[in-house]
Amino acid sequence: MPDKPVPDSDPIVSKSYAAHYAIAVILLMATLLWALWDEAFGMRPWKAYQHVWKDRYTAFLLSARSKSAASQKEVEGSSDYQKLKQNLEEATQQASPHMRELQKQIGDLNSKILSVQAVFTDRRAYVNALTYQIETSTSQSSKQSIQRDLASYKAQTATVEYPDGSRQKYNFEQLEEAYNSLKDQRAKLNAELGDTLKPVTQSKTALDDYVANHMIDLTPTQIGGLEKKVDELSPSIQQINVAEANIVDRCESCHLGIREPVKLTPASMSAKGAKAPDDYAKAFVSHPNPDLLQIHDPEKFGCSPCHQGNGRATTSIEKAHGNYEHWLWPLYTKQNFEAGCQTCHAADMMLISGEVGWTISKGKDLFRQRGCMGCHRYEGYDKEPEELQSLNQQIKTLETERLDNTKQSAYMMKQADAAESNDEANRLNDQAVGLRVANSRIDGRLQQIDFRSHSLMQDMKKVGPNLKDARLKLNKNWIPVWLKKPSEFRPGTKMPNFRLTDAQIQAISAYIWQSGLTDSLPHQKPGNAEHGKELFETRGCLACHSIGEGDDQQGGTFAANLTRVGEKANYDYLVRWIHNARERTRPYCPYEKKDIGPEDYAKKKLPYVFDLGHSKCPNDGHELQVQNMTVMPSLRLSVEDAQDIATYLLTQKKQEPSAYADASYMDDPKLKEEGKKWVRHYGCAGCHEIAGMEEEGRIGTELTFEGSKPIERLDFALFTESAQRGKEPITNPEDLARLPEGPAKESWYDHKGFFEHKLAEPEIYDKGMIKSETEALRMPNLHLAKDQVQALTTFLLGSQESSLPANYQYKPQDTRRDIQEGWWLVTKYNCVGCHQFFPGQDSVLIKMKKYQDPDWKEQLPPKLYTEGARVNPEWLRRFLSNPALNDTDTNRNGVRNYLKVRMPTFSFSDDELRKLVRFFQALSQQPIPYIPEQVPTLTSKETEMARALFSSTAAPCLKCHATGDVQHDAHATAPNFLLAKERLKPDWVERWITDPQAISPGTSMPSGLFTKINDHWVFAGPTPPSFQGYDQDHTKLLVDYIFQLTPEEQKRVAASMGRSTASNAPQRTKKSVTGPSRPPASKSGASAGGSR
Amino acid sequence: MDWRQLWEIISAPDNVPIVGLIPLLAFYIYLAWKQAHANDQLVAQLETDPAMAKTHHRKTWPFKPGWQKEVHVWPFLLRIEFLAAIIVTIILMVWSITLNAPLEEPANPNLTMNPAKAPWYFLGLQEMLVYFDPWIAGVVMPTLIIIGLMVIPYIDTNPKGSGYYTWKQRRFAISTFLFGFIILWVSMIIIGTFIRGPGWQWFWPGQTWDHNRLIYEVNRDLPDIFGITSNLGKAIFGLVIVGGYFALGGFLVYSLFRRYMPKDFSRMSLLQFSITQAFLLIMVALPLKMLLRLLWHIKYVWITPWFNI
Repeated sequence: MPDKPVPDSDPIVSKSYAAHYAIAVILLMATLLWALWDEAFGMRPWKAYQHVWKDRYTAFLLSARSKSAASQKEVEGSSDYQKLKQNLEEATQQASPHMRELQKQIGDLNSKILSVQAVFTDRRAYVNALTYQIETSTSQSSKQSIQRDLASYKAQTATVEYPDGSRQKYNFEQLEEAYNSLKDQRAKLNAELGDTLKPVTQSKTALDDYVANHMIDLTPTQIGGLEKKVDELSPSIQQINVAEANIVDRCESCHLGIREPVKLTPASMSAKGAKAPDDYAKAFVSHPNPDLLQIHDPEKFGCSPCHQGNGRATTSIEKAHGNYEHWLWPLYTKQNFEAGCQTCHAADMMLISGEVGWTISKGKDLFRQRGCMGCHRYEGYDKEPEELQSLNQQIKTLETERLDNTKQSAYMMKQADAAESNDEANRLNDQAVGLRVANSRIDGRLQQIDFRSHSLMQDMKKVGPNLKDARLKLNKNWIPVWLKKPSEFRPGTKMPNFRLTDAQIQAISAYIWQSGLTDSLPHQKPGNAEHGKELFETRGCLACHSIGEGDDQQGGTFAANLTRVGEKANYDYLVRWIHNARERTRPYCPYEKKDIGPEDYAKKKLPYVFDLGHSKCPNDGHELQVQNMTVMPSLRLSVEDAQDIATYLLTQKKQEPSAYADASYMDDPKLKEEGKKWVRHYGCAGCHEIAGMEEEGRIGTELTFEGSKPIERLDFALFTESAQRGKEPITNPEDLARLPEGPAKESWYDHKGFFEHKLAEPEIYDKGMIKSETEALRMPNLHLAKDQVQALTTFLLGSQESSLPANYQYKPQDTRRDIQEGWWLVTKYNCVGCHQFFPGQDSVLIKMKKYQDPDWKEQLPPKLYTEGARVNPEWLRRFLSNPALNDTDTNRNGVRNYLKVRMPTFSFSDDELRKLVRFFQALSQQPIPYIPEQVPTLTSKETEMARALFSSTAAPCLKCHATGDVQHDAHATAPNFLLAKERLKPDWVERWITDPQAISPGTSMPSGLFTKINDHWVFAGPTPPSFQGYDQDHTKLLVDYIFQLTPEEQKRVAASMGRSTASNAPQRTKKSVTGPSRPPASKSGASAGGSR
Repeated sequence: MDWRQLWEIISAPDNVPIVGLIPLLAFYIYLAWKQAHANDQLVAQLETDPAMAKTHHRKTWPFKPGWQKEVHVWPFLLRIEFLAAIIVTIILMVWSITLNAPLEEPANPNLTMNPAKAPWYFLGLQEMLVYFDPWIAGVVMPTLIIIGLMVIPYIDTNPKGSGYYTWKQRRFAISTFLFGFIILWVSMIIIGTFIRGPGWQWFWPGQTWDHNRLIYEVNRDLPDIFGITSNLGKAIFGLVIVGGYFALGGFLVYSLFRRYMPKDFSRMSLLQFSITQAFLLIMVALPLKMLLRLLWHIKYVWITPWFNI
């Protein structure tokens, strides 16, 4: 280091630091200003939002106001408005002289009061202060002296100068009196003014209401209010604070338009001349679904309980949306926002709103229909096995208790015999008796448990078929081909691809084959394929099943696609299955854990009969599983029809069953053990009933709270880094196409990314890992489509442990709970395949091409919009348990015999029947229990009149409604009236006949049969002279008549109308060759409408 | 080379002080060395000119006629200190505006973070836990550090070099300090910050911190390597090794002192010297133990039922 020369002047003293200081101070000031700016704006970005909001919303309201003014003018043009306006003017004119007089008096009084008040309040303050001193002074003498001061002060007079110049002197008491009396006067005058103005205000409200009710948008006045509100807005944090739920949400500090009563879109909130909406415009939109806000009031729920994100954060968009590493609940993305519903509505299969197209509902449904809960436990799904297990536990405990009680009671009796005193003996005796009573209670409880087990066994369903029947049902050589890749054979099948090796496939098929039952099936005669096809297409099979592939596919996706069923199925088994899918080959005893065969029955000398009525095990008396655990119902077809359908289905194939490669290794007993290992390993028993694995547990992880699992607990394996850096690990194009938002472009190291990748390619997290066969991930590929992955991801994201208090979560205990429980059943049995429960929800059938034809529209199953209000719940229970409404003649529909579609017998358990009935009642807000309305008995005159209506040519009821006459019923399109008494609720029938279109849009029941005249429903067609002077509702009369209708009466009326039916009959029979008859109802509807 | 990983570590708000520490440390050592060098030159110059040595010289500069003999604290010292205060204020303000407190998610006892790291100033202690028992690394060592710092004024018998930078006059003190500070403290903090990844495993800078990384590493006790199995044997073996280290080391320190610092040595009492010697040996023992572990996977040397070293 070169030495610097030593300076001459002392450097410490002479060196100047001015420049250093100047720079340092400038920097310091700059930093200070920066800090101030940061404090005021940098850390408060919402301020900028509020400024921009003011400008843009004001501009928006300005343009809205002109539009609103125009539409207001339109409303004001109406005569009603003019009349109301005139009323207002008249009222104002009438009131104004008196009003002006009163207002003047009040004005005078006001100024008088003011002048008195000024003096009075001053003196009163002094008096009060002195009084306080008296109250608080400690010595008696000082009390007295202040008292004296007070008295003298009160006695002093003060001068009040009135506005008219007059002066008056008052002492304190007088002053007080004067002040009060003036105020009384004013109150009186105000009341009088109110009375005078009453007609004016009333007509003004009427006028305003008229405008508000007749304008679709806001009125200019309302907009004016909004303008004022915006104008007054000063920048401040807008906060929702709900202490009880620990919600503090400041979202509305930027999202200012969320709750505005106008529809704000990004486009409408963009700056003038902007090409695309900027961040501000996007933030200012109103809530897309204001109805949801009505139910979930933001003042109570805030924002973050549904949307997540960091409600408290205000420093940046990322922070507020929770999109940073350390916030555990980031905002749900646009694609998955419905996950928020799941956190509180996990128990709802269908969100109550009664709207379709909810991603989350789809997710819930997929989770169940695809059998996810076969491997993964999820609270609320597939709960029957668990309950059954706990019941079995209870049975054991109770039985032990009973045994103990018996022993104890015997012991006490013995003790009592040997007791020393009488009292002692009596006491012991009483205790022994008490124990015996307790035992009888236990017996009662056991019986209840048995009933419940019976119900549960009936309710327990498996997603896949019963593989104990594999030998009876399947083409042996087809099994390995199927296992290789199920979606290859049947695209869209619920059976997922397990990525099995050939050795595993051989072993598994060998086990399935060798463990199957070898009972023989009755041999079935071949049927008529053509007739089978017709039945298959019309009986309603297609509500659940589909047939055809690609564009030709028609039918529902709830059950299997039957396009290639001919390659795999055995005819005899198929006939039995179609005839009654629930019929088991052998009953299963969960107690002994084995299938019970005829030998067990024979041992006890019992007939080999098992069904829902005979479900006790011959060996131990416990409940047996006597049904196949399938949701497939019985369509109550005759055996011949079943044979026809089976014959038709067997023609559905692409290759001959014999073309499959020989798989005789399946009989190799050595493979069986190996196969059992793999069947167990892959959890096949989660979806299938498999011999020896009836009690297998689930192999997957529980998913009830999967969404709140810490991200570190989700095993990204080798892809943690790739996920964080947004690299896409999936390379298989088929699986890549399943990702809802395509290959990853940015970081997917979050729950959404994990679930989506896992669902798109379940083995992805094994990629690059070296694992043995048994260690590899087992989750199969469910070959889901994009939207399905998205739905399931949404479902899983929402599967969180809610941090909200219990009363925020939707766990209703009233009728809403009935609705909740009902939807589980409705989706379980795919009722929505045939029926509609609310407008907008399309059943499978209604969308099918066949039913677009107007002739076939008549053949659609009934809409159930108001089913609970329509039918008697007791009748409904009976109908649901046996839709034929007949014990012997079951090959028919009980109510709508004219429908080709068959309402199936689902063999609902008592429990499910109860739930369904309650569901329908609750859905229509009907009270339970139902107390039938008393229908008054008609006098003979009334009967006569009613009959005239009933058989009127303007509305010949019996033309469409069935009568029980075979010839007539062949072309009837409505139910028999004789059912009404038991089935319907009279008040509903009355509503129905006045306006059926409002209850069931598109019904062929004619509207306009009655018109309202002078508050009474009067028949629209010609009425006989007997109606002269009849001032009751005609509808009521008709309904009462219908509810008293006897078969004889109906026959009589039908006979009298015979001519009209006969004239139409030939024409209709001719038509019914091509399809079901076109009902004359629509025609008569039109004519009835015309006669109005 | 995983630059992203390196950047993630460097840019973490938690690590800003350490990233700043490295250049600052280099700079201040350089500055101190420069001053010391100048002073040493001046001292050498003055020693040749006894007359000059008696005047009031200003550290690096010899005295010049016309200079003030003494300068006042105000303004000549305070103006510099105040300038420094302004600059520090600016730095702190800019820092606090640009980097917010690195708050993380609420603590979850069921899910601890990995790697779980102490605050930066304690990372050296945490690193020591790898090599010693918690009791030794967490209690004994820190106590010794504090006592050692307290004892310095009493064992420092060198009267020179007080109030100015010098190297020649305080070679032992300065090198011991640098050893203790840079090697034992700062470098361990740097290891703790940049090197220790998930599972407290050793990741070289630029290596990806893979949470699933598996390594095979077996640490053995020194007595085991020598096939000693009995507890008593192990204790005696350890005692011999550790005792041998202190005996040999003590002799080494003694001969070095006598040879290179005879003046200092002669000024020291027996107590002062033995305390100096003990602390010095303990200080050196720490990196030795680290090397044993890192290079030869030796876990403990001295195993007793009460403590392990």
